[in-house]
Amino acid sequence: MTDPYKILNIPSTASDEEVKKAYRALARKYHPDNYHNNPLADLAQEKMKEINEAYDTIQKQRAAERSGGSGAYAGAGSSYSGYSGSGYGSAGSSAFYQVRAAIQNNNLNLAENLLDNISTRNGEWYFLRGSIYYRRGWIDQAISCFETACQLSPGNPEYASALERAQSSGQAYRPEGYEVFTSDCGNNLCGRIACAYCLCNLCMGGGMIGFC
Amino acid sequence: MFGYVRPSLARLTEEERRQYNALYCGLCHLLGQRYGPACRMILNFDFTFLAALLSGPVSCRKKRCISSPLRGKPAAEPNGALETAADCSVLLTYYKLLDEVGDSSFPKRQGCRSAAAALRPAFRKAAALRPELDRHIRRQLQDLGELERQRCPELDKPADAFACLLQGIAEEAGDPVQRRVLSHLLYHLGRWIYLVDALDDRKKDAKTGNYNPILLRFSLKDGTLTEEARRRVVASLDGSIRQMAAAFELWDFGMWNPVIQATVYEGLYCVGSAVLEGTFHAGSRRKPSSGKKEQI
Repeated sequence: MTDPYKILNIPSTASDEEVKKAYRALARKYHPDNYHNNPLADLAQEKMKEINEAYDTIQKQRAAERSGGSGAYAGAGSSYSGYSGSGYGSAGSSAFYQVRAAIQNNNLNLAENLLDNISTRNGEWYFLRGSIYYRRGWIDQAISCFETACQLSPGNPEYASALERAQSSGQAYRPEGYEVFTSDCGNNLCGRIACAYCLCNLCMGGGMIGFC
Repeated sequence: MFGYVRPSLARLTEEERRQYNALYCGLCHLLGQRYGPACRMILNFDFTFLAALLSGPVSCRKKRCISSPLRGKPAAEPNGALETAADCSVLLTYYKLLDEVGDSSFPKRQGCRSAAAALRPAFRKAAALRPELDRHIRRQLQDLGELERQRCPELDKPADAFACLLQGIAEEAGDPVQRRVLSHLLYHLGRWIYLVDALDDRKKDAKTGNYNPILLRFSLKDGTLTEEARRRVVASLDGSIRQMAAAFELWDFGMWNPVIQATVYEGLYCVGSAVLEGTFHAGSRRKPSSGKKEQI
């Protein structure tokens, strides 16, 4: 197995607190919420597994060291399991269930065909339609579908959270200290960046950029 | 091409900035070597970012050029990724010029025509070097042109045509995981570029009547965004940036990690915000009066 400390990107001399901190930061980064309805979710899940294993291994090693090599590991209990529960839980009618399964397997064309053959246009239908759009990266259409789903089934938490996610109003992972958004980018901050570019353009021959 | 994709320089250390500058210079030198000195003019930040995404570690060597004729500046040595970025630059710029000849006003049309003529030998060479990429780009631009002719009143469909165009470049990656990550990242990069460009041109297109998906999608008359339009456009832009960031975290881009991180977690948001507020051109050397039509 690869060095667990390397996976958590810390030296083996790190304190218990530092180990926990590094683990939490990585777990936040690869959390299922950040890869919801994302075709790369399986890669993130693998990363998460790697991090969990590395953390558990370190915990075990340290517990064993503390109890003189014989102590059984009691389990730190803080590893996220996450991914198994993400995505499409509620079954509903079997036709909708098949669509959910197809989306889950990233077979979007199949999901689309199955959905087109369902004549019931209820909240679930629009939710699934929106999920397909969202996976394809068609965010604008996805939002419209999720909105309709929420109107047809007000109070459905799954549809509401899908809408919130698509509208980017949910909390997504950012490295510490990064908090600029397109809508609320502070003027002074952006001004600072623009200025930096004025200088940069001078040394990078930026005059060429405005060509044509 | 566009020049919207920039890292937030404030987030980079001096060394990281030097590397980024060297990548820019390296791409510039390579364009000169491969396609003749005039082709160095087409370089911009977007293609530099593309080179950073595709490139592994590069070594630098001091080279002299017009902007630093005596002392010279460190420039990245050519590698496969830089060559891909250079070839893409030539192909995309050439097709963009052709498109502009089609729908610009008279004096500008003449300018684009002569620029396209000047670029033609380089284009022929690039198309011969990368016939598949050339076919792919042409096909996607045809799809996009068709949607423009139909005056498609959606954001996602035309953005998808351009997104798929950039996505095709991911095929150059060797490793299957890297290819998947790049494919997703480049799709959303293309989508973001297309939408931010439409947002940037909204006022101008409202005047000239040129196709602009944002104007049609929200039935805007003079290019002023309604509250709803603003919310929806921002959701689309931010959503794509988040997808780029999520993809970025799944592959180790080595020495280019800081540059990409400073782009997908801040630079793009700042450029988007400046475009939204109409202050983007003040921060770049591009003149706001140049009346540039950038939709390919």
